[in-house]
Amino acid sequence: MGRPVAIIGTGQTKHGNRRDVSYPELVREAVKAAFEDSGITPKDIDGVVSGTMPSMMEGIGMTQFYLGDAMAAVGKPILKTETCGSTGMSIAHTAYYWVCSGEADMVLAVGHEKMREGESQAVMSSCFDPFYQKYFTSGAPGIFAMQCQDWATRYNIPEEKVRDAAALLSVINRDNALDNPYAHIKRKVTVEDVKKSPIISYPIRLLDVCPNSDGTCAVIFASEEKAKKIGTKAAWVKGVAYRGEEYNFGDGDKVEWQSAIQCAKQAYEQAGITHPRKELDLVEIYNPFTFQELLIFECFGFSERGKACDDILNGFYNRDGELPCDRSGGVLCTNPIGAAGLIRVAEAAMQVTGKAQDRQVEGARLALSHALGGVMQFNGLMILGSEL
Amino acid sequence: MSKKEYKTFDFELSLPYRLAYGPTWTRFFEGLQEEKIFGTKCHQCNRVLVPARSFCPQCFVDIDDWVQVSNEGTLVTWALISFEFYNQPKKPPYAAGLIKLDGADVSMFHLVDGFDMNDLDKVKETLPIGRRVKAVWSEEKKGHILDIKYFQPI
Amino acid sequence: MTTRVGIVEVAQSVGSESKDNLYEEIYKISKEVLDKAGLSIRDVDTAVSASSDIFTGISCANAYYWDSTAAFLKNGSRQDGESLFSFYYAAMRIMTGHYNTALVVGICRGSEHPETDSLTTLFGDPFSQRPLGLCETVVAAFQMRLYMERYGITEEQCAKVAVKNLGNALRNPYAHRKRRYTVEDILNSQRIADPLTAKQCAPKSDGIVAVLLASEEKTKRLTKKPVWFKGFGCSMDTFSIGDKDLLGGSLRDAASRAYKKADISDPKKEIDLAEVCEPYAFQELLWCEHLGLCDEGEGGKLIDSGRTQIDGDIPVNPSGGVLANNPYISRGLQRLVEVVLQLKGQAGERQVENKMKTAIAHGTTGFAGHCHAVAILGV
Repeated sequence: MGRPVAIIGTGQTKHGNRRDVSYPELVREAVKAAFEDSGITPKDIDGVVSGTMPSMMEGIGMTQFYLGDAMAAVGKPILKTETCGSTGMSIAHTAYYWVCSGEADMVLAVGHEKMREGESQAVMSSCFDPFYQKYFTSGAPGIFAMQCQDWATRYNIPEEKVRDAAALLSVINRDNALDNPYAHIKRKVTVEDVKKSPIISYPIRLLDVCPNSDGTCAVIFASEEKAKKIGTKAAWVKGVAYRGEEYNFGDGDKVEWQSAIQCAKQAYEQAGITHPRKELDLVEIYNPFTFQELLIFECFGFSERGKACDDILNGFYNRDGELPCDRSGGVLCTNPIGAAGLIRVAEAAMQVTGKAQDRQVEGARLALSHALGGVMQFNGLMILGSEL
Repeated sequence: MSKKEYKTFDFELSLPYRLAYGPTWTRFFEGLQEEKIFGTKCHQCNRVLVPARSFCPQCFVDIDDWVQVSNEGTLVTWALISFEFYNQPKKPPYAAGLIKLDGADVSMFHLVDGFDMNDLDKVKETLPIGRRVKAVWSEEKKGHILDIKYFQPI
Repeated sequence: MTTRVGIVEVAQSVGSESKDNLYEEIYKISKEVLDKAGLSIRDVDTAVSASSDIFTGISCANAYYWDSTAAFLKNGSRQDGESLFSFYYAAMRIMTGHYNTALVVGICRGSEHPETDSLTTLFGDPFSQRPLGLCETVVAAFQMRLYMERYGITEEQCAKVAVKNLGNALRNPYAHRKRRYTVEDILNSQRIADPLTAKQCAPKSDGIVAVLLASEEKTKRLTKKPVWFKGFGCSMDTFSIGDKDLLGGSLRDAASRAYKKADISDPKKEIDLAEVCEPYAFQELLWCEHLGLCDEGEGGKLIDSGRTQIDGDIPVNPSGGVLANNPYISRGLQRLVEVVLQLKGQAGERQVENKMKTAIAHGTTGFAGHCHAVAILGV
């Protein structure tokens, strides 16, 4: 439906603690890189879509104004998409629909966050409804811990096995980040290091958790006609899906997690995927917490129910395994929230176009990128392929 | 505002921030400490932009050609603020305006002060558009925009 | 092939504060628009809302009210800031053929958020503008002074806009502020930021606004009085207010994009009605110029001519406009709702009697029209 849409270029900042630059300068660093990568100029762009997590993160209202010049958005049609943690993915979706609808031929998508300028956990606890839930949650780790406990109990997975699998996932991500020039946390750790790191919110420990990062990601989407004319190797959008569920944390089942399950179902249908475990070449999962990613592997059909721990312990998700996960090092190593979902898209695009350098998965042709957000409410996906 | 008949939840959201100036604005604000106002000049459109920028918003190229502009300039437009809002720089009434400093191609937003503001007609007489103004410096300077205390008609 | 997008039904809250909490009121207005179309949540394919966290006081507010917009297990999204963006994004989603229906909801509660200018200071540069109290009203005063100076527009002409719009609002049951005023009343109200007086500035109002969009085929099945999406344009200006001509701005760009899409070559002749976003009275005149409804510098003559009155040949803001009702974020979408009601002939006592074919809904946010959005609708 609609017309085919391609990604023709991506750009990222060196993510991390970027007190060396102002927020607009940080944004421009990625935008410039995306233009260089695609070989086009700001003049070629028909629209710009941007977003951050909440305005409260950096204390700037409607960031499109302040950052407009840095995004080369002056005089351009703009949109501003914000959907909490999934913002980066929703920005990619906006750019996709904009081109797919025929309303624009080339759209620049920019996700940005300068988390280290605010107090991120305090900001996040301002997310929940201010009357009630705000007081019962302890920022993001609290609710993720609850989901994990529920999952392990439901499938009768021994605590020690969950612990080992999550620790190994942390090690895999951190090893992967060593190959990524843009990654924030680059430190080799062992399974023992993870298991001995301080408890944040049981069972989650420090090395199970993402950092706070400054960073920006920019991605250029183009119509088939434009992509072919420009002639650089393009990543083609094969599936786009998003689902949201109730805001009240207690209303839904976060193990048989409907927003994740149904989102994947829609994306697979669009992409013509029937066996994701076999057909996908790599996945970029939005993984602020190790334990949750294990559950997502199951919700997305990569692993059977209750078996994600076995799969990871058997090397299935390793860089040379059957389905490499988070070859970028994931959100676990780099987390500028408003950019994080778009970084997943950019990394998937780089993989299927063979531009991922030291972290390239050989022969990658079909990649899944993911983001989640809200009070465990939102899951969004974009599946990219090397062929139209 | 009328009070609601049902219960309201009154709260203030106060969050700490620490925003990076980056090298360009660091230099600009350090300049203010020395009573110097800096702009940067775009080598493509040749405009001198004040406050200084690290890139030209129109040409989208890096700029690093520093130019000290005059502490004097002309008033482009102004308003006399008589209403109150949170985080105001001072108690109303006060005037704010856009000032095009000599040597700059764009205007700078700042306060306009140093004259009697109680009579609107007199204010209008004092501040015709195009009025020459000059920076008045604060005694204690912190590398902050209010190191320029205000601009005063000359 | 892209489908034509239709506007099936609209619903809106009144501008004064509601007894319901936000979560419930959004639900009620969303339900109202679905009920009007005879639809249930099952029939909603996608939902796009508009809100801004600094106005709701809740970070990621769309997570909080997701359920209220009939979005449970749907594909949806949110736009921050201009609510006409959410209309455009939802229309785009239908054009792709992925969705047949889309619910658009604009959300803002003036009765709950801080003073509007306390929030608009947060748009400014934190280093060089915010400490000096740069906010929307201050920049509007700058703009008004320039407008009068350059084109000889008088304070009386500006005040006439407020007289017209607040008078029109008397006939609008959804309006927040309404009254029959004289030009003297407007000019003698407090000079809050000279040359602006208090009654030339919009209040802060509540506004939950819902619009149901559908594909061409579905629209024809759901309503006997379809209104069609004809074109949209938006544009954003450079950031620093000192860098630009405050009377230039990006509305001309936005309008020309929308007219091109809608195949309109002479807006003066082809536009039958406009709902213009005028948080400050003089801006209605300036925006009418930039929208091409009159020539440059002729905004004052336009209001003097009476042509923009509700019984004129180009009525502007028959709803009372933003001066009567100013839910900051949803005010653009609220303009669109009024246009739809007028084109459907459902505007009650304020119905324009001219035969109308094409109309404009305009939204703007930021300092002196930093960003503009223009939607063209037709029957």
